[in-house]
Amino acid sequence: MAEYRTHMKIIGDILATTRDDLQDEDGATVTYLIRKANISHSRISRILKTLVSQGLLEQVDTQGYNKYKISQTGREFLQAYYKFTSFADNFGLSI
Amino acid sequence: MEFLLENILNLIGFLVGLGIGIMSLIGFRNTGSPTLFRLTIAFFSISLGFFVIWAGYMAEDFVIQSGNIERWVQTLGIAIQTVGYFFIAFSHSIKSFFPKSSYFRSVGILPLFLVSSVQLEHLFRSVSFILLVYGAIETMLSYIDNKNKGAISVSIGLALLALGEFLGWYSFVFPESILYSVSMVIKIGGLIALFIPVSKVPLTKIKFDEGLE
Repeated sequence: MAEYRTHMKIIGDILATTRDDLQDEDGATVTYLIRKANISHSRISRILKTLVSQGLLEQVDTQGYNKYKISQTGREFLQAYYKFTSFADNFGLSI
Repeated sequence: MEFLLENILNLIGFLVGLGIGIMSLIGFRNTGSPTLFRLTIAFFSISLGFFVIWAGYMAEDFVIQSGNIERWVQTLGIAIQTVGYFFIAFSHSIKSFFPKSSYFRSVGILPLFLVSSVQLEHLFRSVSFILLVYGAIETMLSYIDNKNKGAISVSIGLALLALGEFLGWYSFVFPESILYSVSMVIKIGGLIALFIPVSKVPLTKIKFDEGLE
């Protein structure tokens, strides 16, 4: 049975991809993130917009299309996300 | 002896609840997770509940000196703790939406019929017992899914708190017996078990980040 992912887990997956699994040093395209994070285009567009506005991701305009890279704030958020995921796991909960 | 155990229990309950509540709050401030927000409310409520009872005992011991804690203070403290247990159970119920077992649904109604009087304290104790049992079962089920060893400790902690609550409630039937002291020792053990895995979560480099709100 497929595991249900919370909104927070999807954000964590996107940030982890932009930190650990980039296509090149310019960042990751939307198409690449869709494939890696396993999420629809409409949903990832909304999430990416939010993450950029919150300063967790940096949007880079490369040859007419956008690429995304994790920011320093994003790295700190991801670190906190992993720590508190294990904290919530102790209570049998997902964040 | 009972008075000493009661003081130790309520002080440990206050400190453990406060500790886990603060960690949950830091987590919520850093991630914005609704789960951590619910855990924050849950553990601050549990902490406050224990503190109210502890303050009641202190006031009785040093100021009022009537030999018995005011009944309304005890009831208020237990009621506040029950709110905390509700939020732990609520977090699990959101995850699994509703307990699938028809047996568990019926157990939810049973203790209300077993209440010997209409005293609010009995009512809150019985509700706390149900919520704690539910939380313990759900946490154990999550361990079976994820194999996170910390979940065993939390599950045992919640189960011991439930057992302590039940024995404390049952001791009203046998006053002057050892049951109430045993229930408090079990609850102290439960609180310690609850805190063990949480204390191992490293909080280095975690800070409040105003930019994430």
